[in-house]
Amino acid sequence: MNTVDPITLAVVRGALETAQREMTLTLEKTSRSSVFNLAHDYSNALFDHLPEMILQGQDIPIHLGSLIPAMKCVAGFFGDDIAEGDVIYHNDPAYKGSHILDCCMYKPVFYQGELVFWTVCKGHLTDIGGPVPAGYNPDAKEIYAEGLRIPPVKLWAQGKRREDVVNLLLTNMRARAYQEGDLNAQYGACSVGERHLIELLERYGVEQVRACIGELKDMADRHMRALLREVPDGCYSGTAVLEDSGHGLGELSITARVEIRGDQAHVLIESPPQVPYFINSYEGNSISGVYLGLMMFAQVPPPYNEGLYRCISVDLGPPGTLCNAQEPAPHVNSTTTPMETLADAVRLALEQAAPERVTASWGHASGINIAGHDPRNGNDEYVTMVLASIISGAGANQAMDGWPACGPLCCFGALMSGDIELLEYSYPILIHRYSLMADSGGAGEFRGGSGTRLEIEPLEHAMTVVGFGEGRQLPTAGAAGANNVLLEPKLGRLIHRHADGEESHYIQNTLLTAQPGERVINVNPGGGGYGDPLRRPLAAVLADVRNGLVSREGARLEYGVVIDGQGQLDEAATRAQRAAH
Amino acid sequence: MTKQQYRLGIDAGGTFTDFILADRNGNVQLFKAPSTPHDGTLAIRNGLAQIADAIGRSPAEIIADCDLCINGTTVALNALIEKTGVKVGLLCTDGHEDSLEIRLGHKEDGHRYDATYPPAYMLVPRHLRRPIGGRVLSDGREYSALDEAAILAAIDYFREQQVQAVAISFVWSVRNPSHEQRAMQMVRAALPDVFVCSGHEVFPQIREYTRTSTTVVNAYLSPVMGRYIERIDALFEELGAQQPTRYFQSNGGLAPGAVMRERAVNAINSGPASAPQAGLCVAQPFGIDNVITVDMGGTSFDITLSKGGRTNFSKDSDFLRYRIGVPMIQVETLGAGGGSIAHLDDFGMLQVGPRSAGATPGPVCYGKGGSEPTVTDANLALGYLADGALLGGSIRLDRQAAINAIRSKIAEPLGISVERAAIGIITLVNLNMVSGIRRVSVERGYDPRDFALIGAGGAAGMHVMRLAEEIGSKVVLIPKVASGLCAFGQILSDIRYDQLTTLPMRLDDQHVDLEQLNLALHDLRERGMANLRDDGFSTGNRVDCQYNLEIRYLGQIHECNVELSCEQLDRSSLAALREAFHQRHKALFSYSEPDSPIELVNLECSVIARLQRPPMPELVIPAEPCAASPVGHRPMLFSAQDDWQDTPVYNGDRLQAGQTIQGPCVIEEATTNIVVPPGWQATLSPSATYRLTPGD
Repeated sequence: MNTVDPITLAVVRGALETAQREMTLTLEKTSRSSVFNLAHDYSNALFDHLPEMILQGQDIPIHLGSLIPAMKCVAGFFGDDIAEGDVIYHNDPAYKGSHILDCCMYKPVFYQGELVFWTVCKGHLTDIGGPVPAGYNPDAKEIYAEGLRIPPVKLWAQGKRREDVVNLLLTNMRARAYQEGDLNAQYGACSVGERHLIELLERYGVEQVRACIGELKDMADRHMRALLREVPDGCYSGTAVLEDSGHGLGELSITARVEIRGDQAHVLIESPPQVPYFINSYEGNSISGVYLGLMMFAQVPPPYNEGLYRCISVDLGPPGTLCNAQEPAPHVNSTTTPMETLADAVRLALEQAAPERVTASWGHASGINIAGHDPRNGNDEYVTMVLASIISGAGANQAMDGWPACGPLCCFGALMSGDIELLEYSYPILIHRYSLMADSGGAGEFRGGSGTRLEIEPLEHAMTVVGFGEGRQLPTAGAAGANNVLLEPKLGRLIHRHADGEESHYIQNTLLTAQPGERVINVNPGGGGYGDPLRRPLAAVLADVRNGLVSREGARLEYGVVIDGQGQLDEAATRAQRAAH
Repeated sequence: MTKQQYRLGIDAGGTFTDFILADRNGNVQLFKAPSTPHDGTLAIRNGLAQIADAIGRSPAEIIADCDLCINGTTVALNALIEKTGVKVGLLCTDGHEDSLEIRLGHKEDGHRYDATYPPAYMLVPRHLRRPIGGRVLSDGREYSALDEAAILAAIDYFREQQVQAVAISFVWSVRNPSHEQRAMQMVRAALPDVFVCSGHEVFPQIREYTRTSTTVVNAYLSPVMGRYIERIDALFEELGAQQPTRYFQSNGGLAPGAVMRERAVNAINSGPASAPQAGLCVAQPFGIDNVITVDMGGTSFDITLSKGGRTNFSKDSDFLRYRIGVPMIQVETLGAGGGSIAHLDDFGMLQVGPRSAGATPGPVCYGKGGSEPTVTDANLALGYLADGALLGGSIRLDRQAAINAIRSKIAEPLGISVERAAIGIITLVNLNMVSGIRRVSVERGYDPRDFALIGAGGAAGMHVMRLAEEIGSKVVLIPKVASGLCAFGQILSDIRYDQLTTLPMRLDDQHVDLEQLNLALHDLRERGMANLRDDGFSTGNRVDCQYNLEIRYLGQIHECNVELSCEQLDRSSLAALREAFHQRHKALFSYSEPDSPIELVNLECSVIARLQRPPMPELVIPAEPCAASPVGHRPMLFSAQDDWQDTPVYNGDRLQAGQTIQGPCVIEEATTNIVVPPGWQATLSPSATYRLTPGD
């Protein structure tokens, strides 16, 4: 393995990156649902024959780690019964999937009769059947009440599409044409990836390519080990609190204990028993949460492969707990809640070991799905997750303010909100507002990024709205002495504004129906601040006030900066205000 | 060409301003003067003085004797890079004042976990983005009336803030521009000295964020462009120019100053946009119209593609982190020039670029303080460049310094020989370039094996044959004017106006409204013709119209571009159009859905007034051709498996048309260096272009 020629190695890596990138391009350009084509809620990866992940793109971090156990589970399920031309599909968390909306396609790549690679394409379908459109059923007490579970199943067998099986899946989904279009797009992506890999094998041969891939994984391993060696040995612990988003059991906390010994880390997760509410996280999803916390800390540049995690062992705690859920625990919300809290706990533990890497947390997802019948289109059923609704503010760090509208934490900027006009063209809705909110970013010497407010009115039909996520009771965690005074503007909300202007506010996940003339308002939290807000430079506070990202009240209460009605700084009052703290 | 003797193309680049002067006898001459970024007229005066010296006529005589003077400029580009545009105020739809800052909620790939990557600089800060009530729906109906009081208040604020430009962009203005039109009227009346532009005019297609961003960039840059144009126009007028100076746009066409000063966004990437014209012209004598041009200079590497004589365009793409909607010639720009730095990355792997040593400090071998080995250093170490050669008259290449840097920074840490490391650097930079070529070809559904590669820029001649081998291209063409190819392309360009609109419509026989569609096509064409008339064109010129339809499967969000081969659609041409779409989709994405309904989204019409081109050079093939003889030999290394070979060096000026020489060898031209690898051969053709082909 050590004798791999460095130049060939670089060439092989480049070819793998091209294959992965063109898979992503295919999915983006051809898919039908806005969750794929506007929001980019998907991930494409390449695996070798072992199967170990050899390249994942810079797609959604939620999928970062879950593909690794899922691929092994799926390959193991079929064992020797995998042939050229097969295509496998799967979503079930009991088989290491993330949540049942994330449907994953696996295409084995054969070369000269031998299985050499897998191309893998995972994406969030807009519906998976079940009682609630878009899958987020806050009343589900069991996974069976959430939607269709797909254990590993062949959609193509030896090159032939199994129409009966495909039909079985699609028959169980709403807005069938959209789901079928997305399934085709996934097939296109896997095939494009396969085309590239075959070219690579024809050029360099299986043996040389395998040697290069082995070395690429070893390099990632060495990189992560070198990074861990710089962290002092010890046991570190981080705890993050999860608010009660509707289960009635009160706040739950998740603790990560990270033990660093030399160039290895062991992560142990402690979480309460699983709950009869859709926030339980199965193994595949929890692994993603742990890896995301690790990556926020390590900030490893691309490319990413399984070698990065070789020196990291993970124990998710006893089976039947929130972060190591077992069937029949309901789970659909788990890719955001509690995954983001889990990532925070891991990051907090690591930060104990290296305070110079401390960052504030990002806004957690608090969002909506919508569904209804489109009067412009023969009353065809539509259903979608509104990804614009979960774009929160990013956390600040010691180098800079958090990015506005870049979250949520679990997507880390990979998601896209989608263009307003494209959304209004695709769905019978009017988007009255999609903007940043004053005082939503966590107060700090470096301010958290602003969160977003989305206001939707259904046009000429009744629209079902399904809330999910959290961040409506606890503000995003700051760091290094950050301190919020105005809490209300920093929280997420689901608001139903009735035709008479009356508003119903929801801090729990709920289902509601909005009529024309009414508005559904989704507020997403800002990011956490970093450092003492009283140390924020006056010019920065003045600019924030002028730009309406901090109110005058916020400037006074949170930053100790007094600004008069003309927008001018009152220096004497500011000195007094800052001294008083 | 009219009775005038010359056509002049002036391409103002970052380091040099290139001048191409063509006369009626097929003489095409290249001149270079150092660029003067603060006042572009200085470089032009200096260049004209050189030309005057060379041909013995005064600048005024030359200019008066030009049928056209053409200027490609980076003024708008530089203002965007350096953030020196004007203070802009934005009027936007209430509730959507932040689309410019939300940027679709995305952080660019490559920086996913990098906590120190900053957000994009806001060209319009939030307090200058003023929300205005009034809403239009997706079908063009007015939902609520325009809030004129809010506009007046915004105008007062803009006046107080002394904004120099106002951008106006409302949601769905592309379906109903009345609110934008009224707002323009009000702003113009109240702020007569302020530049104003609106979304439905600058980019009249669906996508609010793209349209707002494009409009803002245009407002930010146009006043800067206007000031530049004023000076250039005055200079040429003073020199007695017969025609208004034409400016080069990112769409590959020319426009007069009166148009450009309103639409600076149309010129932001005009620099490399003339390469396809030049490439097609270079290829024409060989009967080739599928070309990929690769322009490799000191810091960057620009790739363009033309298929069947038509060039790839980009729309709705991020440019320097700003979303630009208007069509631009697709230029894939890589940090892969001669100055690209070779280094070992965090994982200990050899990487080349994207960091570049630029012109200062430059490669190690320049001896100007550079300490990190670059591609040029590797080329020198391998013998492709001559040790001690003079560059631009002042820099003497130091081969030993290059070798030392490669040894200490690359070879020793990797435990390989210097030769191996240098070959590795070349291999990797070539790989980056191949990956760029794939982006303009494979990712656009084209097979690169069907294309000739055109080498341009000073450094391409040392790499382009290897690129051809990688992508399977069978022929490489390198003109003697390779290092000034863009200025050359400008003198070959036509007048071009792109007209756009959005017209969502299902294209199955049952839903299609052919009358409305044909009316829209007609309207676009008429708008383009009106532009030409304003520009002083009469019926004397040949005018071409090219129509592009952007089509997708119902429910998709991204469209495939399908060219329309007729001006009017009927049932049968509609069926052909649908078939063309299915085929395009399959070529791009590996599958099609022939039974799924398809919908039209956007329409485009490019109206092009063809200008008569100056004649091209014709070298005479001697009656009795003799064998070419080298001017010297030096050792070169072509692959890690081979030994050093004593390789012949030819002087390009002494080669005669029709002569063929076998690789390995090097052909040295005044401003470019061609490495003919083993197995390749080069023939100098009468059109002053080297044709290079691999052996069998």
